[in-house]
Amino acid sequence: MVQMILSDTAAPNAVVRLRFFKRGSLAYIAHLDLVRTVTKVLVRAGIPVRYSEGFNPHPKIAFATAMSIGLESDCEFLDVRMAKTVDVEALRLAFNQNLTPEMQAVEAYLPETKFTDIAYSSYRITLVTQGADEALAAKCRDALAERPLTVFKRSKSGDKDTDISASVKACAVRYENGAIVIDATLTADNAGFLNPEYLVTHLKARCGVLSGDPMKERYTLLRTGLYRADMTPFR
Amino acid sequence: MNHELLSGILKTVTKPGRYTGGEFGEIQKDKSDVRVRFAFCFPDTYEIGMSNLGVRILYEALNRVPTVWCERVYAPWMDMDEKMREYGIPLTAHESGDPIAAFDIVAFTLQYELCYTTALHMLKIAGIPLFSRDRTDEHPIILGGGPCAYNPEPVADFFDLFSIGEGEEALPELCALYERMKADGSYTREAFLREASHIEGFYVPSLYEVTYKADGTIERYTPRYPDVPARVRKRIVGNLDEAPYPEKLVMPFIETVHDRIVLEVNRGCIRGCRFCQAGMVYRPIREKSPEKLCQLAKCLYENTGYEEISLISLSISDYSEIRKLTDALLTWTDDAHVSLSLPSLRIDSFSEELMQKVSSVRTGGITFAPEAGTQRLRDVINKNVTEEDLLRAVGIAFKNGKNNVKLYFMNGLPTETMEDVEGIAELASHVITQFYRTPERNKMRPVSVTVSVSCFVPKPFTPFQWEAQDPIEVLKEKQEHLRSILAERKKIRYNWHDAEVSHVEAVLARGDRRLCAALALAVEEDMMFDAWDEGFSYERWCSVFERAGIDPAFYANRAFGLDEWLPWDVIDIGVSKSFLLREHERAYAEKTTPACSEHCSGCGANQLGGKTRWCK
Repeated sequence: MVQMILSDTAAPNAVVRLRFFKRGSLAYIAHLDLVRTVTKVLVRAGIPVRYSEGFNPHPKIAFATAMSIGLESDCEFLDVRMAKTVDVEALRLAFNQNLTPEMQAVEAYLPETKFTDIAYSSYRITLVTQGADEALAAKCRDALAERPLTVFKRSKSGDKDTDISASVKACAVRYENGAIVIDATLTADNAGFLNPEYLVTHLKARCGVLSGDPMKERYTLLRTGLYRADMTPFR
Repeated sequence: MNHELLSGILKTVTKPGRYTGGEFGEIQKDKSDVRVRFAFCFPDTYEIGMSNLGVRILYEALNRVPTVWCERVYAPWMDMDEKMREYGIPLTAHESGDPIAAFDIVAFTLQYELCYTTALHMLKIAGIPLFSRDRTDEHPIILGGGPCAYNPEPVADFFDLFSIGEGEEALPELCALYERMKADGSYTREAFLREASHIEGFYVPSLYEVTYKADGTIERYTPRYPDVPARVRKRIVGNLDEAPYPEKLVMPFIETVHDRIVLEVNRGCIRGCRFCQAGMVYRPIREKSPEKLCQLAKCLYENTGYEEISLISLSISDYSEIRKLTDALLTWTDDAHVSLSLPSLRIDSFSEELMQKVSSVRTGGITFAPEAGTQRLRDVINKNVTEEDLLRAVGIAFKNGKNNVKLYFMNGLPTETMEDVEGIAELASHVITQFYRTPERNKMRPVSVTVSVSCFVPKPFTPFQWEAQDPIEVLKEKQEHLRSILAERKKIRYNWHDAEVSHVEAVLARGDRRLCAALALAVEEDMMFDAWDEGFSYERWCSVFERAGIDPAFYANRAFGLDEWLPWDVIDIGVSKSFLLREHERAYAEKTTPACSEHCSGCGANQLGGKTRWCK
């Protein structure tokens, strides 16, 4: 049979990068749980992962970002270091067979970039809220355009009001199909990672969104892309 | 659960991953092929329920039947429970997200007495009438099982029937009966329960009339119909190698309590500790072959990706093929980065060889259970270990670099005196001395011994089933006495169980049907999660007992008459009452009874048949 896709081959000790999405119920999984899950997926899939040396060997894997609970993503990256030669497309298929439809790798390749190249992340924030209309969308747009953009932020150095405007690279708000839809690009480098949840928190306080019946109202946070400092897509 | 619809709520509760389902390995079926919708409820949190081996086995056994769809259900934690009630969200099953009120059979595994309120609360939030008598043909059949079903009487009014003993074969039989009666139109609740009472291992409480004597003890149990058995014999699976066992598992996304492969190597225990219910009710002793276990281990590793295998047993070192099994597993586990763990290591069979093989012993602390502080009391309870055994075992541990040893004891064991309580402190001190006597000890870190003391709870079907539990004040006095002695010994850490919790546990463990009134009040007041500090309230238990006209001391602190009709006498576990009486007598004579492997003591469990290891 003719091989339709010419797939890369990873040599021993090479790193294979998987780009995957994680949707639906997977949004409720903490990052550490995702790490545990993926470790088992790699074993189930029979992928020859390199393990660290030492008393307590662990698989050499790395995630591009740590995802917070509540976040769905169409653009996550996982690096896996190989112990043996593998066909990366076969690896991707085996990976997917050992996961649920809510989390699947869409491509696998030999990476040419480092995770530290990531500077921004784009998000689609969808608010299914009472009173959603063009006027509310405009109100939300104004609220997000405030400078300073002050939110109450929890951090290791203490909980305090913080101006997050420097972390908001771009932000577009519109009304669509009964929902307020926000496309935001936020900083996502190690120093300045901003959780999109803060934008929702700000809108709750400023515009009264999502203040009604939680059985009727909801919101989703979806990561749509990761970018380098020059806004080229990270790969 | 429909996470899209509920996302507004899931984002406000702790650990939402408990409720979303969608795990790898969960079993989905086409509803049009399914004749019996079976909800398997675990009355505690997802993390605990997902770890339960019995659920894993029965999920497999039931789903092997093409027309049966067994789904998992867990108790929502308090914050989620509050939201569900606030917004009228009913309790649903994990796989389909369908409300369990519409299922055919709703089963609860009753693993500990303190889960009763949670189980009943789950019925409530499912919208299913609490009392069996209030349910109609439109409601599901409510089934109970698990270790607590050996004395199902305190919850008898709420359950339609109980599965007594091992369910691998019994539950599919029950489903087959249900399916047949539904198909031929003969199904009514009444007719079904009557038929079910003819299947060995099913107890239908409503088919028995209970009468009481003037002193409050039971006069007799009378079957209401001649075809209903006077006693219900427990079911066992004859051959463990052939019994259903999962070769793949539902893989939780969030971390669970026992997040690993669990291999059951045997059932039953050869030892016969006189306080231990598991040691009696799981008889006769049956073993899996090392070949079968190795095949299962490999299969489970490949299908789950777990890097830890736990060999479980009531006493793992008593498995007759333990060396062969561990050697065979170690041929591949180290290379695959898979570690072995052996809980339940006995003091007298702990060896340097086992210690080096087993990583759970290599890393972390090490725990032994002498149970009592003096040889006299250890003989009373038939623990069959000596101080010398313990010092030898901790000596090996210290020699191999350990500095922390944990010791389990019980307060309130029958015949216990303050001298026995003081013996606990003595024994712990001798363990410290042993550390300094071990030349190869790890001198880099200080030694520490943790003494953990629980309270004796008399359990049905044990030689101590007739025993009175120490009153709370006495237990507390013993705890305080030990605390004052140990306070002076810096290297010993001491912790103890709450006497009030153990008291309630004893009431529920030895209760009869009259306790149902108290439990109904408890459910009305939303009592649940009694096994958790967040849930348990002694004051509330006292209040419901009082209002239900229950004297808790009658059940917990009274020595039951040796000739008394016990609430659980309607159940036959195979082990005979005469054996339990004999063991009770030997306890007071401070005589030990040898393990099954040395000498058969004629407990009676061999009458259940099966491929047993030691039975004559």
